[in-house]
Amino acid sequence: MIDFDPSSFGLAHTYQKEDKDEINTLALPSAPQVIYKTLNGPTQVNGGNKLNNFKHGTTTLGFVFKEGILLAVDSRASMGSFLSSEQVRKVIEINEYLLGTMAGGAADCQYWLAYLANHCRTYELKNGSKLSVAAASKFLQGILIGYRNSGLSMGCMIAGTDTTGQHLYYIDNDGMRLKGDIFSVGSGSTYAYGVLDNHYRYEMSLNEAVELGIRAIYHATHRDTASGGVVRVYHIHQNGWTKVHDGIDVVDLHYQFAQQKGLVGDGDEAKQRLF
Amino acid sequence: MSGIFEYNGGSIVGMKGKNCIAMACDRRFGQQMSTITTNYQKVFKIQDNILLALSGLNTDIHTFYALMEKEINLYNLKENRKMKPTTFANLVASALYERRFGPFFVTPIVAGLENGKPILATYDSIGCKSDLDDFQVGGTGGNYIYGACEAFFKPDMSPEELEEVIGQSLVSGCDRDALSGWGGVVYVLTEQKLTVKILKTKQT
Repeated sequence: MIDFDPSSFGLAHTYQKEDKDEINTLALPSAPQVIYKTLNGPTQVNGGNKLNNFKHGTTTLGFVFKEGILLAVDSRASMGSFLSSEQVRKVIEINEYLLGTMAGGAADCQYWLAYLANHCRTYELKNGSKLSVAAASKFLQGILIGYRNSGLSMGCMIAGTDTTGQHLYYIDNDGMRLKGDIFSVGSGSTYAYGVLDNHYRYEMSLNEAVELGIRAIYHATHRDTASGGVVRVYHIHQNGWTKVHDGIDVVDLHYQFAQQKGLVGDGDEAKQRLF
Repeated sequence: MSGIFEYNGGSIVGMKGKNCIAMACDRRFGQQMSTITTNYQKVFKIQDNILLALSGLNTDIHTFYALMEKEINLYNLKENRKMKPTTFANLVASALYERRFGPFFVTPIVAGLENGKPILATYDSIGCKSDLDDFQVGGTGGNYIYGACEAFFKPDMSPEELEEVIGQSLVSGCDRDALSGWGGVVYVLTEQKLTVKILKTKQT
């Protein structure tokens, strides 16, 4: 005898509803809010609804490998869609053993990294030894937490060398501080990550690492409108840092990479002339 | 970078010369800050002696061009003759005003040669025609191109000079605009021929 019970709607009509089929429903706790955190934007609750965040219009990247740390940055500054400069220095030389990268508000990054430099020097004089990278980055984090919600815009990486080796930290205006091996910050970071993640190996030589950094920045500058200009590359090793490249024009890189593939680089590679 | 005219980005410029006209456009098709392709066509040959350049929302560029193609084809069939550039310029204005309360988000430039005389007309998105200037710009990089045009332009240039000037103006203008560039195409129309040249520009 079939019990036509609405709860069995959709089941085959030969199914006999039995007692053991009763399921006790549990009272589930209400789902927690998902705190969505990215490297490129403000903390968004439940995913947020921003189409695009233009705050950090840039591409900077850094990764740890066996010869130390490599930092590569672009050099474009934009105010909305107006390009205000193609020659900005986004790696800030804090001291001979610490470097900071700039993303977000240029003034904020320049000022607070200089403040950090001052603090590092004072510590060195008072204590007779250099401030560790962990401590320096933590100091900056402390400042930024204090200014939380006041509109500072910074997405910087602190990279340096100390008695324990070379270390890379990501710090942002929300007060986030992350230690890691690979970071890319800015609107072009998604493009850079694609290239970086593809070819990254810890055992890379310095030349391979420099090539990778340059290539990742180039790809980001090609696709992202807020990144461009020139690529600047720094290497951090146990004796401090070295500026490997002061400014390689990404336009030259584009045509160079195209030529290496046997292409021209003018957008008609599929030979589909539309006119 | 908000605004429907800034969503795809792109720039166009048109110039008059001595018995010739030139049009140039960038090749970027983007979505806000992301570049999708670098070979998008923004200048269309409507007739042997008429060029139509469009900037603005790319979907409307395509649709408005298709609409104008349809209009000119029907005109050719019904009247059994070619359309004059001044007539086409008027047609564009009325086609835009037809959509006064739901406009096409485009800023067109029409350029043509009528009996050897150069014609250049530009419009806002609802069809206000302006055909008295010697050069016109459109798109997100328009204002930057204006600066370069004012510096390099002089009246009654030969086709070779015009090609050089319009190419340089487009490139310098687009270099200051984040949403335009990634290639450039220059079209120079004379009584005898239409030359199309692809410019080697910044791809960033």
